[in-house]
Amino acid sequence: MDRLVFDAAAAIAVLFAALMVLHRNPIKSVLALVVSFFFLAVCYVLLSAPFLAAIQVIVYAGAILVLFLFVLMLLNIPQEISQQEQRPIQQLLGGAAILLFAVLLISLLSARGATRVSSAGAPKLAADQIAPLARLVFSEYLLSFEALSVLLLAALVGAFVLVEREKRP
Amino acid sequence: MTLLDWAILVLRVALPALILPAIVIPLVWYERRMAAFIQDRPGPNRVGPFGLLQSPADVLKLFMKEGVVPASTDKFLFHLAPGLAIFAAIATFAVIPYGGTLSIGGRSIPLVGADVSIGVLYVFAITSLSVYAIVLAGWSSNNKFSLMGGIRSSAQLISYELAMTTAAAGVILSASSFRLTEIVSAQQGTWLGLIPRWNLIPQFIGFLVFFISTFAETNRLPFDLPEAEAELVAGYHTEYSAMFFGSFFLAEYLNVMVVCAMTATLYLGGWSLPGFDPHGVVGVLLSVVVFAVKTGILVSVFVWVRWTLPRFRYDQLMSLGWKVFLPLALVNLFWAAALEMWKAAR
Repeated sequence: MDRLVFDAAAAIAVLFAALMVLHRNPIKSVLALVVSFFFLAVCYVLLSAPFLAAIQVIVYAGAILVLFLFVLMLLNIPQEISQQEQRPIQQLLGGAAILLFAVLLISLLSARGATRVSSAGAPKLAADQIAPLARLVFSEYLLSFEALSVLLLAALVGAFVLVEREKRP
Repeated sequence: MTLLDWAILVLRVALPALILPAIVIPLVWYERRMAAFIQDRPGPNRVGPFGLLQSPADVLKLFMKEGVVPASTDKFLFHLAPGLAIFAAIATFAVIPYGGTLSIGGRSIPLVGADVSIGVLYVFAITSLSVYAIVLAGWSSNNKFSLMGGIRSSAQLISYELAMTTAAAGVILSASSFRLTEIVSAQQGTWLGLIPRWNLIPQFIGFLVFFISTFAETNRLPFDLPEAEAELVAGYHTEYSAMFFGSFFLAEYLNVMVVCAMTATLYLGGWSLPGFDPHGVVGVLLSVVVFAVKTGILVSVFVWVRWTLPRFRYDQLMSLGWKVFLPLALVNLFWAAALEMWKAAR
């Protein structure tokens, strides 16, 4: 039962992720991504990580994508896109990316039996305990955690600098 | 699991989901009578005794009306949005404990839809999804007033969600659990044998921030900027008619009940009362009544505020959320943490 729901949720997540890339209307793309994230959260729940699932929905689907939608609605991009003609270079690059992804996927699937990622080495987390997760984040992975937050801060400052530069004549 | 267990599970989940929309009908009547009382006029008093049948008549009218869909709308999203609004409102209630634990024939049935370990976070996750209903309604209508309403609401909901979540973090800290049933049981008993151990008392600032933010989250006056009729016709549901509009209307009242139930659970001890230990079927049913009364009082405050305060200006709304409520919620969080440290040190 769990396996069935997991497979279905994973399939839907991938399907909507593909829809996000392929759809011409940016607002529909964002909505497809919301659905994808939601089903990714379902996968997290079935992997007994309900905390991650909730955070996934709150942070990504609930906050970041709403901001995306907000900006897209204000800019009203759909009309601009329809005026553009086909973009051959982007199409070529996109095709190359798909090819690369397919090669990686096939190699991963064929090597699956031999070098399957062992879960024995990973620290086991109890199904509904958040304290061990917090302990890991703030002790063993503290450096990467802080580095990520500094990176995000740098991106924020960078955005401000870019906007500021455009304002000046 | 036997068939009976399944039946009990379905009832536990389905009963609140079915009863909640049914309560909306008398709730609308209650609000209109209360509004009339505040404005010193009779209110609906013609259809049925005390005008009680006015709301059912209105619902019937909404169902019988023709649902007009404007030509230039995005048909799929236009129809999806009202359903999403109702889904978000009802799904939130699934984790809120609405009564004590019922023991019948050797079975103990906790009166809660699903007692998940991330209860509080689940509620915030679903409410954060509810913004899409309004945003999609605004965008798919292809109407500038609707779009303005949708954009306003997305900014407003994100801003107030921050303050609301931070305020609730204080409660999570004091109960040291995300589980709503544990938050309720942490508030049982009294201090000095007199004062109930509700989070309301040590975290009064948090309660104020949380409760006021719920007004913004449900788009009720004084924060109903997304549908400010003086500026935006009817905001995000300008283009909706008949039961499509009715769905948004229903979702608004459902949301009011859900956030009030949430406030009662987090700050007023949920279904528990000091000196009241629910035993047997009658006791547990009484605990449901206690919960309903607490929620009802908070809903009355919602109605009272709606007909008392004027609407905020948009910049006032934003500066209130970011410059007043968020710092206050952070102060409350530090205060709650300090209290916990003090308790641990003692």
